[in-house]
Amino acid sequence: MNILLVLIPVTLLIVGVGVWLFFWAVNHQQFDDLDSPASLPLLDDQPAPASPAASPQHHPTPPS
Amino acid sequence: MNDNAAWAHPQLAAQVVRTRRDGGSEVALRVESLHDPRQVLWLEQRIRALPGVRRVAIDRPARRVRVTWDARRTTLPALLDSFDAAHCPARPLQHDSIDDARAQEQHQALKHLLVAGMCSMQVMTYAFVIYIGVVDFVDFSTRNLFRWLGLLTSLPVVFYSAQPFFAGAVRELRQRRLGINLPVALAVLLVFLASAFNTLRGSGEIYFDSVTMFVFLLLAGRYVELRSRHRSGALGDAAIDATPLLAQRRRADGELETVAAIALLPGDRVHVAEGEAVPADGVLESADAQVDEALLSGESRPLRRQRGERLVAGSVLLSGPVELRVEHGGSTSTAARLGALADRARQVRARVAPSDRVIGRFVARVLVLTALTALGWLLVDPTRAFEAAVAVLVVACPCSFALARPAALTRALGVLAARGVLVTDGKALETLARVDYALFDKTGTLGVPKLDRRGIEPLRGDTPERVLQLAAALAHESSHPLARALADAARQQSPTRQAQSVRVHAGAGISGELDGRALRLGRADFALAPASRQLPATLADALVLADADGAIAAFHLAEQPRAEARRLLDALRADGVAIAIASGDHASRVDALADRLDVAERHARQSPEDKLARLQAAHAEGHITLAVGDGSNDAPLLAGADVSAALASGTELAQTHADLLLLDGHLGSLADARATARQLQRVIRQGRHWSLWYNLAAVPFAAFGLVTPWLAAIGMSLSSLLVVLYALRVGRGAPGPTDAPHPPLHPRELHA
Repeated sequence: MNILLVLIPVTLLIVGVGVWLFFWAVNHQQFDDLDSPASLPLLDDQPAPASPAASPQHHPTPPS
Repeated sequence: MNDNAAWAHPQLAAQVVRTRRDGGSEVALRVESLHDPRQVLWLEQRIRALPGVRRVAIDRPARRVRVTWDARRTTLPALLDSFDAAHCPARPLQHDSIDDARAQEQHQALKHLLVAGMCSMQVMTYAFVIYIGVVDFVDFSTRNLFRWLGLLTSLPVVFYSAQPFFAGAVRELRQRRLGINLPVALAVLLVFLASAFNTLRGSGEIYFDSVTMFVFLLLAGRYVELRSRHRSGALGDAAIDATPLLAQRRRADGELETVAAIALLPGDRVHVAEGEAVPADGVLESADAQVDEALLSGESRPLRRQRGERLVAGSVLLSGPVELRVEHGGSTSTAARLGALADRARQVRARVAPSDRVIGRFVARVLVLTALTALGWLLVDPTRAFEAAVAVLVVACPCSFALARPAALTRALGVLAARGVLVTDGKALETLARVDYALFDKTGTLGVPKLDRRGIEPLRGDTPERVLQLAAALAHESSHPLARALADAARQQSPTRQAQSVRVHAGAGISGELDGRALRLGRADFALAPASRQLPATLADALVLADADGAIAAFHLAEQPRAEARRLLDALRADGVAIAIASGDHASRVDALADRLDVAERHARQSPEDKLARLQAAHAEGHITLAVGDGSNDAPLLAGADVSAALASGTELAQTHADLLLLDGHLGSLADARATARQLQRVIRQGRHWSLWYNLAAVPFAAFGLVTPWLAAIGMSLSSLLVVLYALRVGRGAPGPTDAPHPPLHPRELHA
C-alpha cells in the first residue's frame, strides 16, 4: 500500500496540470470560435480574388 | 481609401480607439461580410500578419472584430485599409463596444465548469475506493486518508466553481427575495460542511462526491443556457450595429454629405431634418427649434431652443430643419448618449433574468418542505434526517422551473433579432401572442407611396424635372412617407437643393423659400391657402406645390401594397385576428388599397385622435389590441395599444416607442414575431409543467429517504438541462417562409 503514497500525489498533480493547461487555453481564446476551425482543412491557399497585400511587410502564411 | 484616412484625426481616433495600460491600442470594428467561415479564418490570419498586431478576436454572430495592436507600427487607417484589401470593409465602433463582456463571462463560466468537472472526477475515484471497501481490509488510517483526500479535492469545487451560486444567493438575500440560487447554495454549503465535520471527527457519512457532482452538473446546465443567451445577444448587437447614426454635414462648398455621427469634428456645420436625432452636441444656428429630449432626460414635453442655444446629442428634432454648429465632436458622454437606443434594446435582454414572484413562492415552499422532512425524520430516525432533508432540498429546487422562461425568451429575442425584429419590451411578446385585434396605418405601413413621371402634372408649363426639383427641396426636410417618396424620386434625377426657412406643418404640408420665392407643398387646401383660390376638384387628393400666385404642379402618388403586407394579413387572419385599416387619407385611396388586401374594416379621413379612439373602443370591448404604424408619425397610436409594432430604420429607432421594431421595412417579419411569440408561450408552459410534475413525483421519494443525495443531484441537473435544451426549439420549425434564411441585414441609408 505504500505505492499509494506515490500515486495519490501523482493524481493530484495530473488534475493540477490539467486545470492549468485548460486555463491557458481559455485565456488564449481557444474556445471562442468553435465553428470556423472545422473548415480549416478545406481552406484553399488563398480564397477569393485577394488583392495584393495592403502593406509591403505582409506575408500571409498559407494555411495548410 | 479616403474614408479610412479620416480616422487618422486624433479626435476621431479617440472615439473609437482605447489605449491600454501597456501602450497598445484596442479597437472594435463592425465587419459586414462575415458569412463564410473560410473568410473569417482568412481575415484573421491576414490581420494578424500585420506589423504590430497582437490580438485579433472575431465574433462572428455579432459581426464584430476586436483588434489589439501597436498604433506606432500600424496606423488605424492602415489597419482599415487592410480590411478593405481583404474584401471585408470594416467600420470602427464606439469604444464602449471594445469590452467583450460576453467573452469574459463565457471564459469565467468555462473555468468554473472545468474545475468542477476535473475535481468531481477525482473525488469520485476516492469515494469509489471507500465504497467498494478496498481500504477497509487495511486499516482505518488509510480509510481516513481517502476521506481527507476527498475533502481536499472538493475544496476548489465548493470555493471556486460554486462561487456563482453563493454570489447569487447573497444578491438575492440582499434584495430580500427568494431565488433559485439560495436553495442551491444552501444545499452545497450544508452538505459540504457536514461532510467536512464528519471527516474531522473520523466517523459518519461523507457526501463529497454528491456535492461536487451536483455543482458540476448544475454548472453544465447553466453553461448551455449561457451559450444560447450569448448567441442571442450577439445577433441583437449585430442588428443594432447595422444602423449607425449618420449625419448630414455641410461641406465648404455648401453641399451636404453624409457621414457617420461619430466622425463629426468641432466646428462642422450639420443639417438636421425634422423628425431626426441630433447627431452631436452643438449650437443652434437657425432661428428656433423644438426638441424632444425624452430619451435623455425623461422630460417628455417638447422644449424650445433659440438661436445660439445648445442642442444635446441624441435629442429628437420636432420642428423644422435646423443648422447646427458642432461643439464637441465626440466626448465620451456624447457617444454614450447616442448609444441610448442600443442600450434600450440591450436592457430587455438584461431584464430577462427571472424575477418571478412564482419562483419566490416556490423556493419558500421548498425550504419549508426541507425543514418538515428533517423534523419528521428526527422524530423517527435521527440518523437519516440529514440525508433525507438534503435530498429533498436538491430534488425540489425549482431550477428547471426558473430556467424555462428566461431560456426560451432569450432564444426568441435572438431568433427575432436575426429576422429583423428588435423587441424593446420583453412583455410585448407575451401580449403579442394573445392579440386579437390589429389596427394598421395605411401610408408608409401597408402601402408604399411611389411617384413616377406620369404622376407629375405641371400646371404652369414647367418641365416635370423642374417642378420635382422645387418640390423635393421642401420634401426632403420632412419624415412623412409621402414627402419621402417625392424626395426619393427627385434624388434619382438631380442633386437636392436647399430651401431656406423651412417649416413643417404637421398634418398639412411644408412651407419654405427657394431663391426668394415662397413655396408651399402639401394638401391642396394648405398649399393654395395664400393664393386664396378655389380648389380645382381634380387636385383634391393630390400633393400640390404652390407659390403666392397659385399652384405650380400637382403630384399624383400611386400607392403599392408593401411586398409582405399580403402575407402578414393572411397569417393574422388565419390566426383569428380582426384587422382594420385607419388612415388620414381620402376614402377613395383607402378603399383602393383595402380592396387589394381584402380588408373589410376601413376608416378614411382619420385624425390621430380618431385612430386612438377607435383603438381604445376595441380595447374596451375586451380585445387585446395591436397597432402597427410608421415610427415617427403614429406615436400616439403606438403608445395607446396593448402592443405596438413600428416599421423603423436608423435614427427613427431612437425615437420610436414601439414595443417591436421591424427593421428594413420587413412588414412580414411581424408574422414571424407572432408565430414565435405563440411558440414561446407554449414552450414556457410545457417547460414549467414538466419541471412541476418532475418535482411533484420526486419529492415524496426523497422525503421518505429513498433517494440518495447524489441521485437527487443527477435528476435535478438533468431536468434543468432538458428544459434549457427544450427552449432551443423556439424559432425552429416556424411556419411558412420563415424557414428560409432571412436576407442578411445590410447597412441602411439613414440621416441624422
